[in-house]
Amino acid sequence: MRAIFRVARATYYEGWRKRFLNGILVFAILIIGSSWVFTYLQPGAELKMLIDVGLGSIRFFGMLIAVFLGSRLVPDEIEKRTIYTLLSKPVTRMQFLLGKFFGGLATVVSNMALMGLTFYIVFMIKAPQFAQPTEDSPAYKMEFMYENIAKAVLLSFFEMAVVMGIAVVASVVFSWILAAIFSFFVYFTGQMSEFFGHLADPDTGASPVARVVLLTVYRVLPHFENFDVRESILTDVPVIWSYVGMTIGMGVLYITIVLALGYLFFNQREV
Amino acid sequence: MPAGVQSRRAARVREVADIALAIRTENLTKIYDVGWGRQHVGIEELNLEVETGQIFGLVGPNGSGKTTTLKLLLGLIFPTSGAGEVLGEPMGDPRSKNRVGYLPEGPYFYEHLNAPELLRMYGSLFGMGGAALDARIQELLELVDMWDRRDYRIADYSRGMLQRVGVAQSLINNPDLLFFDEPTSGLDPIGAKDIREVILRLRGEGKTVFLCSHLLKEMEPICDNIAILSRGRLVTEGSVAELLRGDRLRYRLELREPDEELLAKLQGNAEEVLWLEETCRLLFADRQAAFDAAAQAEDEGGYVLAAGPDRRTLEEVFIDAVGEVSVDASDL
Amino acid sequence: MSRSAQKLVAWIVLIGVFIGLQPLNDALSYNRLVLGYARPTPVTKVLQFDAPAMTGIIVGAMMGGFREVAASMLWMKTHSMWHSGEGTKWDHLSLMRMTTLLDPHWLEPWRITAWHCAYNLYVETDDPKEQARLLDMGVNVLKEGISWNPDRFELYFELGWTYFDKIRDYPEAARWLAAAVRFEHPEHIERLIAHAWERLPDMEKALMWYDYCIKRRPSDHTAKGATITIRERYMPAERLVQQRRYDEAAEAVQQYLLVYPTSTLGLHMMGYVYEQAHDYEKALEYWSLAAETLALNHYARYKVAELCERLGWPVPEYASHIYMREQELRKEMAVTHEVN
Repeated sequence: MRAIFRVARATYYEGWRKRFLNGILVFAILIIGSSWVFTYLQPGAELKMLIDVGLGSIRFFGMLIAVFLGSRLVPDEIEKRTIYTLLSKPVTRMQFLLGKFFGGLATVVSNMALMGLTFYIVFMIKAPQFAQPTEDSPAYKMEFMYENIAKAVLLSFFEMAVVMGIAVVASVVFSWILAAIFSFFVYFTGQMSEFFGHLADPDTGASPVARVVLLTVYRVLPHFENFDVRESILTDVPVIWSYVGMTIGMGVLYITIVLALGYLFFNQREV
Repeated sequence: MPAGVQSRRAARVREVADIALAIRTENLTKIYDVGWGRQHVGIEELNLEVETGQIFGLVGPNGSGKTTTLKLLLGLIFPTSGAGEVLGEPMGDPRSKNRVGYLPEGPYFYEHLNAPELLRMYGSLFGMGGAALDARIQELLELVDMWDRRDYRIADYSRGMLQRVGVAQSLINNPDLLFFDEPTSGLDPIGAKDIREVILRLRGEGKTVFLCSHLLKEMEPICDNIAILSRGRLVTEGSVAELLRGDRLRYRLELREPDEELLAKLQGNAEEVLWLEETCRLLFADRQAAFDAAAQAEDEGGYVLAAGPDRRTLEEVFIDAVGEVSVDASDL
Repeated sequence: MSRSAQKLVAWIVLIGVFIGLQPLNDALSYNRLVLGYARPTPVTKVLQFDAPAMTGIIVGAMMGGFREVAASMLWMKTHSMWHSGEGTKWDHLSLMRMTTLLDPHWLEPWRITAWHCAYNLYVETDDPKEQARLLDMGVNVLKEGISWNPDRFELYFELGWTYFDKIRDYPEAARWLAAAVRFEHPEHIERLIAHAWERLPDMEKALMWYDYCIKRRPSDHTAKGATITIRERYMPAERLVQQRRYDEAAEAVQQYLLVYPTSTLGLHMMGYVYEQAHDYEKALEYWSLAAETLALNHYARYKVAELCERLGWPVPEYASHIYMREQELRKEMAVTHEVN
């Protein structure tokens, strides 16, 4: 535990010093902070626009940070040879990998928390005035909106934890560029895993081989769309805790799978 | 007998038997897959024995397998075949890590830390902490002459400072066995001398130091034993004194541009004649023959530069040894 | 634990967790659907491998959380091109269409794209076939938008309005507007439904909707005014028709047409009266008038074509095209019906 914590802490502070990461964060906060400006594009649905742009940016930029940071955590250590001094100390490879993962995750989560905070402030100022009824649209209900947004941000933390786990483990197997591309690919296809599930339906008339492939994709890919609850925010349907808990559980199970794979790969990996 | 007692006894027996050996490898082989079915030999059939309490130098040209050997011993990479033991445990075993220190070649550390923070982090990995760790950190930074510059961020370090802090971090756990990979590369002469002094001091404390380097001039005065690697193979091995002496001690006479007549007279008793630019070196089997030849040369107007026992430099040993292998390799 | 034992444990954990994950995933998919957390996707269209629907899903997934931001940026670009006059109207159309694919849950681009087809591009051409194609395009864009947003009133309303205002296909307009009011909606839609029935003309249904508007909001002056107009001008004629006193009914409407000779409502009413009287020639005369006084009156054109067909007369050029389309649609529907 001590070793994991030490590696994680060093990784966390090191993460904050990455220039490209600071760049993404500043850009994200600018976009989120000015998300209410986009709302003039859609009179009558400003609130939808605000939530889409705000939460969409948190997820998108969080994903960028998770992929680019995650896919470089281990390769950077190897390239800079910092890994040698660490692994020659009483640190097992699994401890090292876990430390890197949790340290990187702390960086991603704190970056996203900053974005989330920015969005929350913008939302609290702007939402009440956007929720007023207009000639073209009925009034928005805002009974559950504030807590739903907090839950949506919480879910996106776990979503990015899965993405980052994939990036870290992929970077143990591939080069970091390939790992980043692979992680993007998994994330994007995972966004539409439900779609693959539909395509695997016997009604589509797909060939048996295609169906097996689609079904495998559907079963193996993380269902990233489950972390997205923006629809319920707009319709002001409460996001119930049992759903949040189950989704987080799904995320944790995927992280377990990914880290078990990481253990299998990294233990054989030569550094 | 209960199993616990039995294994404890076995451990004791092993401890006693290997007490004198810090490192032992047996037919250690590492072959890298370079891709597309091509292979690259890292090291081949390496048998090494390093006794405790000595400075052991592993020398060889670039790419001869020195770093590969180090990484194998530390468990950073895995052997293709063969085995090795470090401090009585199999290579890469976590139990031995508590007693080992490692300075990689061209070390690098987390940029955001300064030296004491870095050492504190590494120290805590060994379960150290509190005032004891702080005292140790100060002691080590003073040892490598970095205490005055302790507030610098590692991001702002020069190569030499990195090397000094690298040495300090390898010593944080007061290890019994130290692996130094090119410890003086990139250092100015004073820095290199400082590091050499640290190494000698460590031997004085009874520690084993395993050095890898291609800087032979620096290895010669400090190493007790040396192994020479070339293209992954052990070419020659032994104590520095033995290697410099050669198989048997011979005596040399050096003349400056002797004329052919004189040379023809002296050559009869000599075993070997070598020309080194304008110097002619004659090698004799015994002392008497050498001094007789010197007297004769003086008498006949020759210019005697030197006469005495024939000691080679490590560089010569190295070039001889590596040269042979190169010829072997090209014959294959 | 030995290295191989650790490896075995890792594999067991991996496979165990993977198997345990499957029911959880299924439960989550179900929950999302039932609790309404998932944004609607046109699943049935996916099952039929509908190209735009699949593109929407794939493009959306590729953009990840950024799809809405990207769509907004593209939309801003379209705006600026529009206002600066940069690019042709067809260029604007493709940008708009791309925005709808990027973020199919954003309603504005669907509406503007359909409007662009049915109004702006429509006036660029005089070829009736091309015009019909553009109207179709606008209508189909809105129908596609509805398949992504079936639980919002906006696009149903927009489609109803396009039928009402542009195409003047009042029966269709009334259908889509009635679909819009199933969801939360502003008040004026019910009034528009009444307007649509009134133009048909189906005065009873129109009055029924106006009554609904007045009951909901007694101060609805528009609905009140419309009710008074209908009761004064058309209800007498309507009652006479019901009593089969067609000549008197025509007389009653005619008095109104003396004052407003190009009133769409009056002309439709005359056509309706003569049709009820089985005087198809007279009916055709008034429907033709209605079709010709307005730039596009789909319903009147349709009526003209229908009556010409019934009389065995040649169908005029402007009406034939629309009538053929209508017939093809009917045939198509009949075929689907048989199959099902």
